[in-house]
Amino acid sequence: MTSSFPRRFSPVALVALGFWLVLLALVSVWMSRQAFRWLPVQASNAAPLVDGLFSFETGVGTFVFLAVVSVMAWVMLVHRADKYDESDAEPVEGNTRLEVIWTAIPLVLVMAIAWYAIRVNTTLGVLGPMEHIHLVNPAEQQGGYPGDRLPAEQVQVIARQWSWEFRYPGAAVSSTELHLELDRPVTFRLVSDDVLHGFYIPAFRLKQDVIPGRAIDFTLTPTRLGRYRLRDSQFSGTWFATNQADVVVESPTDHAAWLKQAAAAPLQSGLSVAAAEYRERLNHPRVGWPTVVPAPPPQVNVPGTSTLPHDA
Amino acid sequence: MTSSSLPEAPSPTPIPAHGEGQHASHNLTGFVIFLLSESVIFLAFFSGYAILRLAALDWLPPGVDGLEWRMPLINTVVLVSSSLTMVLAEHFKGKEKLWLFRGFWVLTMAMGVYFLYGQAVEWSGLKFGFTSGTFGGTFYLLTGFHGLHVATGILLMGLMLYRSFIPGIYAKGEEGVKATSLFWHFVDVIWIILFVLLYVWRA
Amino acid sequence: MTSTSLSPEPPGSWRRYFGFSTDAKVIGIQYIVVAFFFFLVGGLLAMIIRGELITPASDLVDRTVYNGLYTMHGTIMLFLFIFPVLNGLNNLLIPTMIGAPDMAFPRLNTAAFWLVPVFGTLLIASFFVPSGPATSGWWSYPPVSLQNPSGYLISGEFLWVLAVALSGISSIMGAVNFVTTIIRMRAPGMTWFRMPVFCWTALAAQSLQLIGLPALTGGALMLLFDLVAGTSFYRPEGGGDPVLYQHFFWFYSHPAVYVIILPVFGIFSELFPVYSRKPLFGYVYVALASFIIVGLGLIVWVHHMFPSGVAQWMRNLFMVTTMLIAVPTGVKVFAWLGTMWGGKIRLTTPMLFCIGGLFNFVFAGITGIMLATVPVDIHVSNTYFVVGHFHYVIYGAAVMGIFAAIYHWFPKFTGRMPYEGLGKLHFLLTFVGANLNFLPMHPLGLMGMPRRVSSYDTEFAFWNVLASLGAFLLGVSIIPFLLNMISSWVRGPRAPHNPWNAIGLEWLLPSPPPEDNFGEHVPTVISRPYGYGSGEPLVENQAQIERALTLAEATR
Ligand code: HEA
Ligand code: HEA
Ligand code: CUA
Ligand SMILES: [Cu+2]
Repeated sequence: MTSSFPRRFSPVALVALGFWLVLLALVSVWMSRQAFRWLPVQASNAAPLVDGLFSFETGVGTFVFLAVVSVMAWVMLVHRADKYDESDAEPVEGNTRLEVIWTAIPLVLVMAIAWYAIRVNTTLGVLGPMEHIHLVNPAEQQGGYPGDRLPAEQVQVIARQWSWEFRYPGAAVSSTELHLELDRPVTFRLVSDDVLHGFYIPAFRLKQDVIPGRAIDFTLTPTRLGRYRLRDSQFSGTWFATNQADVVVESPTDHAAWLKQAAAAPLQSGLSVAAAEYRERLNHPRVGWPTVVPAPPPQVNVPGTSTLPHDA
Repeated sequence: MTSSSLPEAPSPTPIPAHGEGQHASHNLTGFVIFLLSESVIFLAFFSGYAILRLAALDWLPPGVDGLEWRMPLINTVVLVSSSLTMVLAEHFKGKEKLWLFRGFWVLTMAMGVYFLYGQAVEWSGLKFGFTSGTFGGTFYLLTGFHGLHVATGILLMGLMLYRSFIPGIYAKGEEGVKATSLFWHFVDVIWIILFVLLYVWRA
Repeated sequence: MTSTSLSPEPPGSWRRYFGFSTDAKVIGIQYIVVAFFFFLVGGLLAMIIRGELITPASDLVDRTVYNGLYTMHGTIMLFLFIFPVLNGLNNLLIPTMIGAPDMAFPRLNTAAFWLVPVFGTLLIASFFVPSGPATSGWWSYPPVSLQNPSGYLISGEFLWVLAVALSGISSIMGAVNFVTTIIRMRAPGMTWFRMPVFCWTALAAQSLQLIGLPALTGGALMLLFDLVAGTSFYRPEGGGDPVLYQHFFWFYSHPAVYVIILPVFGIFSELFPVYSRKPLFGYVYVALASFIIVGLGLIVWVHHMFPSGVAQWMRNLFMVTTMLIAVPTGVKVFAWLGTMWGGKIRLTTPMLFCIGGLFNFVFAGITGIMLATVPVDIHVSNTYFVVGHFHYVIYGAAVMGIFAAIYHWFPKFTGRMPYEGLGKLHFLLTFVGANLNFLPMHPLGLMGMPRRVSSYDTEFAFWNVLASLGAFLLGVSIIPFLLNMISSWVRGPRAPHNPWNAIGLEWLLPSPPPEDNFGEHVPTVISRPYGYGSGEPLVENQAQIERALTLAEATR
């Protein structure tokens, strides 16, 4: 199949096309900068890496999108049939060289993205979020972690329908608000008492399903002081939406003080919006459909709060 | 194939009407496509079994120390041989020796029935049930689902046996026998894989 | 063939649309009408969802109700709207495009269709059982889906599994039929590379159904046993593995998205040439790319499970395979642009829907590529970013493509012309509404708003209000469509056999075609499809055929 495509471009058209492509490239670079603003604050060592990749993809994506849309706009403006023109256009059936080009360009582009992403993945794996998965081992559960040798702070995360409980075995503290030390790696051990949950802290760019019957280890380092939200990200039933907790990243001294204070505090009912709403719901027996009864709020040293303003 | 006619050929050649004559071969095409699809469901069960088994801490429920394999082996031999008797039956059908065809056909059916009987005997002697962990679940799921196919195959054979008495049926291009035998070989191959997975694969 | 008809009504009678017909054209319209009924139901649920989400608090419906709403919305839209409507198009277009009198197995076809109202009723009935409908999402992940707090055997979840299983059976029956028909019943002279691209994509999509659906059926069967028989395939307490279900589910449900989009690619490939008055650019590549998509589509399912604890090497592998899909898809996108380039573009209603659909599709494809990269997906998975991505493809591209197809082929199968003005209004409202509805979901997801929530933190309010307004606009957009369909079907102008001056066997039939299409007089195909501008006839004796049709129309 021959075609007259390439021949149709005059030098003027080529220059104009070049200008247009440069313009699109500039817009794409601008968009890739904007991309950072759409994301929450960066509060972990993983965040800059993830955001960099996202920004790169936004740039490439903007360019591809605008290029395609430009062609669509052009043909709609320039190649419209006149009102009473019933005739056909010139029957160009294809062009093998063009086919090869537009197979190769996306191939190169996506492989570049994939290569970049694998590199980020590998770095993240070294930094932390390389999760180790074990089947729950009852013996190990009684005697603490084999990973106690690590320098990281150990936090056990227990997900339930519908509350989060955090245990600090080193300090014999439990809480329904997650407190972490700035710039110190922390290893979470995620377990679930009932169904799937998702351990998701947007500001950390961290997400891991919590799977009943397994214990999943997960390491990362908080890098910014502040108060953030932890959200359940894997649908877990009626009060899924309320299954949130606050994450406080504090300086080492504050953290040590918090742990000490917490250890001294008596056990009390932790935060559980679901339990509260369920009690309220019992007064309206005919509302809605049958639901799983929320697990009783965990008994913790520090219930914390979920009403303070948070950074992300 | 209607599509192979040359474009230059003038069209007075009678258009192959998509009447009854053509339908038989459509049936076979459709049936083969269906069987290919059906095999994926077994593939899903096989891989589910393998994944659950490989990940299990204790595969066998307490009090169960493996499956008895002698009886199932006899069953296997019977089922595999029934594929051979079926080939013989088809061979005689091709030679238009209808009574020999029916003879071997009934023999195949009998072997299928024997297989189901053996399966029933095995099931009734087992110390675990459908709900005994993933071992019990997958065992009964796999053998039960396969057994259902064996039963279906026997029913199909019965139908074909009945139809073989309709005079002149094969002259019209009836291909039910072919489809049934394809199905039976399929059920047979599935069983061999099943046997390996369930009885040969030791911890 | 005609003798196998079960329909007691003579052709042409409107009553035959209400009975057990074996005519693919009747069944096709039955499919489409039933599908749009369920579209309205699913859309109504979406309106309530968006009503709940217009404010941060859970204040419109109870939380259990919300969970039931979004579960049923997703399930209805996929299993009762999009698959049936596409099967409707398959029924109308495959036989007429390849010159077959009907499907290979007309009775199987009837049965496959009538299963749709059966499992539809079953699914809708689950709103009225004491347990309420299924509430664990259209994924129905265990263990949540196995909890059954009502304690009844006939629970919403039970009905859900049953309905999905029946839907699978119906789709398999359909797929066997479509594939057999395409392989065996093409007109003389219609070699593989003279087959319209819609048939290529239908063949590709239906092959995916045949390979993928049994896995889902198998997985669902095990779920059913866990639910009602006490087995523990997926129950961790009994040694089962909940993640195993996820593999079964996505092994099918990822390919399912290509089952949806491939026929829409087919529609684009048919319509762009007609309204650009040019042959499809790179026909062979476009046709073959469908099968590359099939092959790749089968080995990417783990991209839905990146945060569920799969090994790093697996994540990287499935990321790369997912990315590769951009290549054959790009081939198609560029081929459509190449088709329009230098054409004589006519912005009719179907063309507008195609262009708008392509616009949305490219956007959605790019967010798809972002989702494929593991580190980014870890952040946005299970957030509104994903919801935005897939509504852009499904509503923005697939449903718009389906609208394009309906406007384009409406005259052929009803014998009436649809109204252009209403059609263009419908397009405008749809395009604006869809973008207003689904674009705000992307910033929401990036900010970290999970999906499937009945309440959310106040920082997400702004974009949610926009999305809800867009959704209501989309709800309004359906009014001109329904008006158009009903009024033009009842009293629209009579359609000639080829109102768009299109090339294809279906346009060599009267509008509407007789029950057995070409009957004994199937024309012999002598050239490739899409011969716009080449002056080559598509079939032998084309001039005579056209003259006869025009004559018949003049004396009508
Ligand atoms: C019709 C439906 C449809 C289609 C066609 C697609 C197409 C694609 N989808 Fe999408 N997807 C869904 C429907 C669809 N998706 C649904 C329903 C879900 C969620 C289900 C649920 O969770 O409930 C989902 C979820 C989903 C996820 C999981 C997210 C998560 O849950 O975390 C991912 C991840 O990889 C993904 C990726 C992709 C990719 C890469 C494509 C590709 O096929 C896109 C390819 C297209 C292009 C890339 C554009 C055109 C190409 C060019 C112009 C060439 C040049 C381009 C580049 C160089 C980039 N999709
Ligand atoms: C074909 C597929 C399809 C289609 C067309 C749509 C269409 C729409 N969807 Fe849906 N959606 C899904 C498939 C689809 N969706 C899936 C698979 C999910 C995931 C479910 C899950 O997580 O499990 C989902 C989830 C989903 C969510 C997320 C819910 C959550 O996670 O909590 C939202 C939220 O905004 C939403 C909104 C919409 C809207 C506003 C439309 C609009 O486009 C709808 C427009 C509606 C109309 C045009 C009809 C209007 C009707 C009337 C006004 C009333 C008339 C009624 C009668 C006469 C009976 N959808
Ligand atoms: Cu494996 Cu730690
Ligand atoms: Cu997918």
